[in-house]
Amino acid sequence: MNATINYAELVYALRPEIALTLGLLLALGYDMAFGRRMSDCARRGVAVLIGIVTLASAVFQTLHTNVPPVGHAAYWFHGAFVYDTLAHGVRLGVFGLSALTLLLIAGSIPHSALRTPHFKHPAEYVAIQLLATMGFSLMAVSNNLLIAFLGFELASLSLYVMAGFDKTSRASAEASLKYFLFGGMAAAFMLFGFSLIYGMTGTIVLPEIARALAVQGPSPLLLVALVMVLVGFGYKAAAAPFHQWAPDVYQGAPAPAAALIASASKLAGFAFFARLLFSGLGTVSGDAINFGGPAGWIMAVIIISAASMLLGNIAALAQTNARRLIAYSAIAHAGIMLLGVIAVRAEGAGPLFYYALTYGIATIGVFGVFAAIERTAPCQRISDLAGLWKRSPFLALVLFVCVLSLAGIPPLAGFFGKFYLFAAALYLNGLMSPAGWLAFLAIAMSAVGLYYYLVILKAALVTNATAGTSASTEKIRVPLGTVIALATSAALTIALGIWPDVVLGLFK
Amino acid sequence: MLSAKYIWLIPLLPLIAAAIGTFLPRGGSSRKIASASAILSMAAGFVLSCLALRGALANPAAHDTWNFRWLDFGATTLELGFINDPLTAFMLVMVTFVGSLIFIFSTGYMKEDANAAKFFCYLSFFAAAMLGLVVSNSLLLLFVCWELVGLASYLLIGFWFTKPAAAAAAKKAFITTRIGDLGLLIGICWLYNAGGTLLFYDGGNGFLETSVLGALTVVLPCGLAVSTAIGLLIFCGAVGKSGQFPLHVWLPDAMEGPTPVSALIHAATMVAAGVFLIARVYPLMALDQANILRDGFDAVLSGAPLEIYSSTGIKALTVVAIIGAITALFGAVVAVAQNDIKRILAFSTVSQLGYMMLAIGVGAWPVAIFHLLTHAFFKALLFLGAGSVIHAAHHEQDIRYLGGLAPRMKITFATFAIGMMALAGVPFLFSGFWSKEGILHAAHGWTVSQLPFYVALVAVVLTAFYMTRLVCEVFLGKARSHASEHAHENSPAMTLPLVLLAVCAIGLGFLGTPAWPWLQSMLEGIPADKIHGHSIFSEPGLMITSIVLVALGIGVGCALYYFLRKRNTTGELDPLEKAAPALWTALANRLYFDELYAATFGRLFDAIAWLSDAFDRHVWGGLINLIGGLGLFAGGVNREFDENTLNGGFDTVSEDLRKTGKAYSRAQTGDAHGYLRTMALGFAGLIAIVILIVAI
Repeated sequence: MNATINYAELVYALRPEIALTLGLLLALGYDMAFGRRMSDCARRGVAVLIGIVTLASAVFQTLHTNVPPVGHAAYWFHGAFVYDTLAHGVRLGVFGLSALTLLLIAGSIPHSALRTPHFKHPAEYVAIQLLATMGFSLMAVSNNLLIAFLGFELASLSLYVMAGFDKTSRASAEASLKYFLFGGMAAAFMLFGFSLIYGMTGTIVLPEIARALAVQGPSPLLLVALVMVLVGFGYKAAAAPFHQWAPDVYQGAPAPAAALIASASKLAGFAFFARLLFSGLGTVSGDAINFGGPAGWIMAVIIISAASMLLGNIAALAQTNARRLIAYSAIAHAGIMLLGVIAVRAEGAGPLFYYALTYGIATIGVFGVFAAIERTAPCQRISDLAGLWKRSPFLALVLFVCVLSLAGIPPLAGFFGKFYLFAAALYLNGLMSPAGWLAFLAIAMSAVGLYYYLVILKAALVTNATAGTSASTEKIRVPLGTVIALATSAALTIALGIWPDVVLGLFK
Repeated sequence: MLSAKYIWLIPLLPLIAAAIGTFLPRGGSSRKIASASAILSMAAGFVLSCLALRGALANPAAHDTWNFRWLDFGATTLELGFINDPLTAFMLVMVTFVGSLIFIFSTGYMKEDANAAKFFCYLSFFAAAMLGLVVSNSLLLLFVCWELVGLASYLLIGFWFTKPAAAAAAKKAFITTRIGDLGLLIGICWLYNAGGTLLFYDGGNGFLETSVLGALTVVLPCGLAVSTAIGLLIFCGAVGKSGQFPLHVWLPDAMEGPTPVSALIHAATMVAAGVFLIARVYPLMALDQANILRDGFDAVLSGAPLEIYSSTGIKALTVVAIIGAITALFGAVVAVAQNDIKRILAFSTVSQLGYMMLAIGVGAWPVAIFHLLTHAFFKALLFLGAGSVIHAAHHEQDIRYLGGLAPRMKITFATFAIGMMALAGVPFLFSGFWSKEGILHAAHGWTVSQLPFYVALVAVVLTAFYMTRLVCEVFLGKARSHASEHAHENSPAMTLPLVLLAVCAIGLGFLGTPAWPWLQSMLEGIPADKIHGHSIFSEPGLMITSIVLVALGIGVGCALYYFLRKRNTTGELDPLEKAAPALWTALANRLYFDELYAATFGRLFDAIAWLSDAFDRHVWGGLINLIGGLGLFAGGVNREFDENTLNGGFDTVSEDLRKTGKAYSRAQTGDAHGYLRTMALGFAGLIAIVILIVAI
């Protein structure tokens, strides 16, 4: 290995992260110097604006990075970072999703006397979100276990804080603590797995790990290490049986934070683990194509995936709380995305990336609508949504589009996400492979999922708010930032459904 | 016939029984289920062990092994394995048989205890660990089981942990044996480094086989051979576990556990492990004594007593013999002046273990195992007999308060007397006589020194003496307390094991008499008529001497405690105490070893602890307080800034914080535990499934 350290290359590799750092310092500095003299509204506006500008400049830096052609990768800084289509796409994706959730902040401030106002420190929130985004971005480009873990932990720690940011809410504090406890243990498992892998291979660079493992072949210790890594993966993806934090966090966290956890965090997590599993541990993956092949992580991923689909969809049926319902649907979606991880072998990371991205956009739309409703009335139970189409036709329309996309109705993006993903899984070996049967299960469970998505839409679009229900009949005024975010989400959900090649083309 | 490939079934059975015991709820019929599964598992283990023994005896010289890959670290592979050879098989049969009887006895003894289900769970776990230790073909696997034995002994000695003495004794046993274990662990690491394998036998590549042993003959700069150094480190572990001097201090205190536990520790499981280990690695221990050039490795491997080819440097086995002799004498001397029935037996165990180590040290490891087996039976008998007495006398253990139990507890008395005669070495009929005779003979033939032989002879007299004293005080004479006056014979669950053990305490000796040394020949894998060093009949002087010495011990004991004067009151002084009060006090206090350790090592560690504490408090604590102070200062500045420039902000923040605190305290922490538990369960489940797929 070259002993000299090329700092110019390091700076080149991390330009978006540098932009994010500068932006978060600016947000904090400005707020400290001037923010306290401004009105709450203006203060929030400036903080969000700085955040958006920062993310835009990060996007700009990303767009001015040379992307190697599909199938090739550039390695920076002695192989610590990798840059390819997936890294490029994920960086753009997390910046965009992060910007969308930032816009939700304004919409999630109750303006009535429902509760004491939260988000008293918008600049801190924005700064922490930028930190989390930096973590996602690092996960996207890391090619080395240590950098990956750093990115993972940076993102996780920031998200714990964001989940507990609403200090006036007991649920928020509880969500944050549970998320933290769970995440800490999962990270410990994963780090243990990493250290075992390092112990076996003597390297932390993914391709070299793959080479070393190809020589050694699978061993019981390696299987333990793989499952330990998968615990971390399962936690990040909110996949059963490592999902328990999700309902509490989705329910308790402030809506923008929950949206970020459900969207950008998942996208980065899946991209990173797909890279880790294929370019680092691909030689010990086991067999997804035939039954009864050698053991490896694929079998464990299949089990987690099937468990998530079953548990997520079935538990969602029983929910009366809208946010918890979305959480269980997220678990079900995680199961499908895990199937996508297996299908990377057939079609590359394209379908998985497309699915995770469009899922994130639709989820941000749903959380944005919930947040906007909460400004005037509680929005926890599904019955709280009653009469939404009268209170705010715009919100009802966005909810309609996004929920249908989550349910997978054509021509929305969610449908094509599922379609490409199942197709890739069936390409492996049709129904002769475990992955094929898993795709079959996923299709069956999607039908189950349609029911509870329609329950939400029925409440919002059909049911009238009557005196007997808790739902308010007050008209909802949606702030500008939220309007932009929700309109963008809905538009993207439709547009990416009609032109999926905008995203998928990157990978071809 | 049970080959090494399936021998792990034997430790697995009690392990399953232990698992069943763990998951049972408290109360209800749990006690019955736990005890039944424990006894059944041991009985089934006994049947399997007999099959294993049959398999092993078919070809006693061969070591039937089954090894498997456990871990790959880079290019190196760590292998574990199981073994079935006569040494393992005899131990298995002994442990499962004695264990079954002790378990059955426990159903009676622990009848009134509320936690009996847990007790059987621990007992099964203890037995499983010991059986695992016996069947392992890898020093690493053996070490794992070794530590599990230590853990189980901790749990059982401290079973009545609400008694401070029991809790302290458990801690003492655990920590004292841990000191020896450290040496063993270092030895294991060194051995792996020097020899590259931890398997005992591996088709020529195990570390007890020629190719690896050759690598261990290197001589270190200090004059020791590598094999000697490793052997001594391994012996450290055995010293701790087998209660050898100077780490014997835990063994008498371990009497705080329930009596069946004492029986298990002293007879079948824990203390036997050390002797077993040294016998198992005997070729390594003896390596430095062999003249490789002249005799070749076969001389080492056959386990024959070896001539010492060179007098330079310390030999591992010489150390073993010396420690063994010291322990044998020490235990016997101290046992004379104890008043607690279980402590007398405990020190007799220390003494007998010294005999076994002495036998290994002088090169006669088959004789040591012979004594280990006979001792296991008669010591289990004695402990269970003591337990029967204690149970009948409402937990009175002081022999001054007992007395006159013979007419009240006839079966216990008869069986206890058999055990006593076996331990004392009463000639011809009792097993202890033959095994002890073998040891004395081997010690007599040792070319290095005759001193251990004479030491052992002195211990023979003392053993006969203190056992006579014990029987006279407990069973004969007048009942000296309310408890012993009202004692009556126990239920068959307790007396039946006594009878069975008594039969074995007599019969077992005939497996290894000099006329037909079948056991030794099987252990060594050579025909009985070629057994060396068993010309006892050709040297009748030695045998006559020892018989005379035993008679002397018993005679003096009877004279002092039965014929000349019987104890009538509890406060009466012991005849020896009257004669030499200073010596008696010293012996009664176990020659002040506990006090010595407390004054030296205890003080030293106290001082280190004090120093660390002071360092922590004043140096590191100061540093942290300084940093904290800086933080507080910065916080103060920040607060001033906040309060003076932006009024009101601070108040709200503190209000927020207070509310947050309340929210945290109300958060459903119970649920979070459940989440984490599910996560761990999910992890374990996934591992199990993935590994199962590999296995299929």
